[in-house]
Amino acid sequence: MADKSKIGTKLPTYRLNVERVKIRELMAAIGDDNPIYLDKSRAIAEGYPDTPCPPTYITMAFQEFTGAYLKIFEMLAVPLENVLHGEEEYEYIGDIFPGDVLRCQMSCESIVEKQTRSGILDLITLQTIFTNQEDQTVLKARSLIIERVKV
Amino acid sequence: MAPYINLNEMEVGDMLPTFTKEPVTRIQLVRYAGASGDFNPLHTDDTVAQKAGLKGVIAQGLLVMGFVGQAITRWVPKRDLKRFKVRFKGMTFPGDTISVSATVTEKTAEGANLRIVCHTEARDQKGEIKLSGQFEVLYPMDKS
Repeated sequence: MADKSKIGTKLPTYRLNVERVKIRELMAAIGDDNPIYLDKSRAIAEGYPDTPCPPTYITMAFQEFTGAYLKIFEMLAVPLENVLHGEEEYEYIGDIFPGDVLRCQMSCESIVEKQTRSGILDLITLQTIFTNQEDQTVLKARSLIIERVKV
Repeated sequence: MAPYINLNEMEVGDMLPTFTKEPVTRIQLVRYAGASGDFNPLHTDDTVAQKAGLKGVIAQGLLVMGFVGQAITRWVPKRDLKRFKVRFKGMTFPGDTISVSATVTEKTAEGANLRIVCHTEARDQKGEIKLSGQFEVLYPMDKS
């Protein structure tokens, strides 16, 4: 069961270097050949200073490369094998470009316990705020994680 | 690539042209694991997936969200996309063909811009829903 005393608690901030090759790798995996994400000259032709990050780029800020999910689940005392990803939301405030260094601040926004016929669920909302090297907040992400509580 | 849709001409209830992907492949799940850093073996190792009661590996939900993101920024320029939210609803398996649809649900003037909200869904070849969601676009009214 998620530790509800940790609602509102923040993880220490961590950094994410936005790398062109990782954007290309993600685009190749998705099978998205949109040139504005891959070809600087095409991005410039559409009025961007460089190739902007695609809509789901920021997903890589949470897993293996930063360990943020692992750290917050550990802080909340949530066993990894009991969690499901319920919802994911991105609010785009500014563009993110290759070469940016993002400061990432993840926090546990809320934990709501829900009684269902098949047992208790904890609905855990995590929020992450991304701020670039110029101190501009460029993106807010929200993940709803569902913990099936084993009693 | 086809030009963007002119959202000025779209009304509430109108559907955007459905975007259909190539079938999901196992290699794609491995590549997405490497690209995103989601190394949960449910997405890459049949033995682990079968122990969890599945017929085999399942796609990362975020990969399917990536397909929807691909569709959205074919429809509208990335810079106009302000919000994108999905709810994961069903499992996607290798071989599934995902189609992304969207319907305009709100259209409101906001200064010199239009705020347009669309409901979006990703479904497989059998019509089973994989995710549903919403995206919001802030679109200059004079854009043609």
